[in-house]
Amino acid sequence: MKSKANLSRRHFMGIAGGIAGAAALASFAFDAPAIENKPKIDASDFTEEKRVLDVLVIGGGMAGLFAAVKAHDAGAKVLMVSKGRIGSSGLTPFAKGIFSYDKNNASMSIDQFVEKVSESAIQTNNPVFTRQLAEHSYARVEELKTWGFFDSPLYNESFMRPISERNIGVEERVMITHLLKQDGRIIGASGFSLDDNKIIHYHAKSVILCTGSGGFKPSGFPVCDLTHDGTIMAYKAGAKVTGKEWNDGHPGSATNSGSSYDNWHGQVEEKPSTTSITINHHLGMDLNYQGYIYGAPVTMGPPMRQAESEPQTRQGGPFTPEAFRMTSPPPPPQKGLLRTLISGKGHSGPPGMGGEQVGGSSAGMAIHKAEGLVPINEQGLSTLPGLYAAGDALGSYMSGGIYTQIGSSLAGSAVQGAIAGEAAAKDSLNLKLSIEVTQQYSDTITEEILAPLKRQRGYSPAWVTQVLQSVMIPNFVLYIKKERMMQAALAYVEELREHHVPMLLASDLHSLRLAHETENMIITAEMKLKASIMRTESRCSHYRLDCPDIDYKNWQAWINIHQDETGKMQLEKQSFDKWPEFS
Amino acid sequence: MPIQQISGCIGCEACVKSCPTDVIHMNKTTNKAEIRYPEDCQICHLCRLYCPVGAITITPEKHIPVMVSWR
Repeated sequence: MKSKANLSRRHFMGIAGGIAGAAALASFAFDAPAIENKPKIDASDFTEEKRVLDVLVIGGGMAGLFAAVKAHDAGAKVLMVSKGRIGSSGLTPFAKGIFSYDKNNASMSIDQFVEKVSESAIQTNNPVFTRQLAEHSYARVEELKTWGFFDSPLYNESFMRPISERNIGVEERVMITHLLKQDGRIIGASGFSLDDNKIIHYHAKSVILCTGSGGFKPSGFPVCDLTHDGTIMAYKAGAKVTGKEWNDGHPGSATNSGSSYDNWHGQVEEKPSTTSITINHHLGMDLNYQGYIYGAPVTMGPPMRQAESEPQTRQGGPFTPEAFRMTSPPPPPQKGLLRTLISGKGHSGPPGMGGEQVGGSSAGMAIHKAEGLVPINEQGLSTLPGLYAAGDALGSYMSGGIYTQIGSSLAGSAVQGAIAGEAAAKDSLNLKLSIEVTQQYSDTITEEILAPLKRQRGYSPAWVTQVLQSVMIPNFVLYIKKERMMQAALAYVEELREHHVPMLLASDLHSLRLAHETENMIITAEMKLKASIMRTESRCSHYRLDCPDIDYKNWQAWINIHQDETGKMQLEKQSFDKWPEFS
Repeated sequence: MPIQQISGCIGCEACVKSCPTDVIHMNKTTNKAEIRYPEDCQICHLCRLYCPVGAITITPEKHIPVMVSWR
């Protein structure tokens, strides 16, 4: 179905008016710095299209692949939509190790595995998802083998094989910005094409967010296309999200620190391989502390080896459970990926391993699987009916607040995607409800999508992003945390959200994407600061210089975040042993 | 700049599709790929690896215009 986006001026002013309109006028009156917009495309010349299906999968990485395949195999009419290309966007293309728990060759039982992960994660993991990873990883890896996944360093072809065989619909280069909600249930999503002046409304009985995590478009980590889009659209629709106080601690190379390829030592050109049980407690936390105390760059070995060789770095800093302090070199590498954990030999590892290091390379990202939508069950159903999430978009706490099992990130996405896909399909096939929305509702969404193109004055997403980066990425804000600095950063971020987000400009489809991404990053920054201020302890990848100890009495809990009826961000504790209910 | 040059493009669009950050677009006049938003290149090399004819040159240095002025 096609129709012309015919937006009345009054409608548009409804979006651009209020605070934004007043601010724009004030800027004009005082000849303030906001720039004049000179659109290269005509915002009134957009077409609108509509798709109707059972299950919409948003995202084309490892989680999205399995979600789409399993939802299809369970009988649902499925469509995959992705901001990039299937298998060539998000973090999936750069992940080269995939964990496979092979019960015939495993060095420990599943019970022991879950217990060991919990020990490393200092109980911040959800053992239900840790167990699920171990139980299902082998089957997913075997399926990937049949699709040719292990035969090429590039994943598009192997990902498209099961999709094409099943004739599953795929739409690439479409940015989803909104979830459709009716009577408390999610019934689809809307977004825009990056190639044509086109808005697309997807009406679906269930939606699975496989949108990955995100960052602040940091320097030197291939996460610059991910801006927590799924998490933020779900948050705005009323879902609970979690995990924002945890930090991915990947450092980057001091040389050419802006090059993701060089930081990953060309690893993207390697074929993927499987990993077996190797439970750690690492990923840069010690390095961040060393860099802060002693200055960058820091020299590298695996984190604890270096700490061993420089005893002074044992003073203070993030706590590592006794069993995970590496006092001897790690075990010899398996083929492919695991050599990457050893420093100094040939290629020297995943980002942050080898050579002189600097911090902040993955700024804005939490630990894989620790941030995202709060699940209410082990199928990845969110606190909103009809909305599932899987992979890095789901705050499953599969590993907890620290990265524990090497290769579990990719495997966890496959496992969770498959389970959510099947569940969403069954859910949608049993459902008898209208997934239509009113014209007024879809018009409002269209207007919100196009608003940055229609504003006459405002701020470029590039400038606002640079301001955000300069506030959030310094090591004394989110890495080595202190309440005073976080409150200061929060004042900046709230200013950006209140005043600059409503004035973000776009002149073409590329900058329209940047405008929406910038808003998502700003809301994420606010969440990260508020959650980090609230968590008055240090544990795993959350390190507070002003609260350096673990607080077992008060903080056996995760932090869930949601938007209340007035639009205000609310944070609440959720005990480690509790599951929430529908919002 | 990071992605530096596309030379010998056959117009297959593989780089346009495989770029995660939308740096490369097709030039509708020449039907060849062009570098349109180099400031958003994350230097991940996926475009180069997906290019079937080795047309793409990338350097590891990243230069982003510093925007101190409000804009």
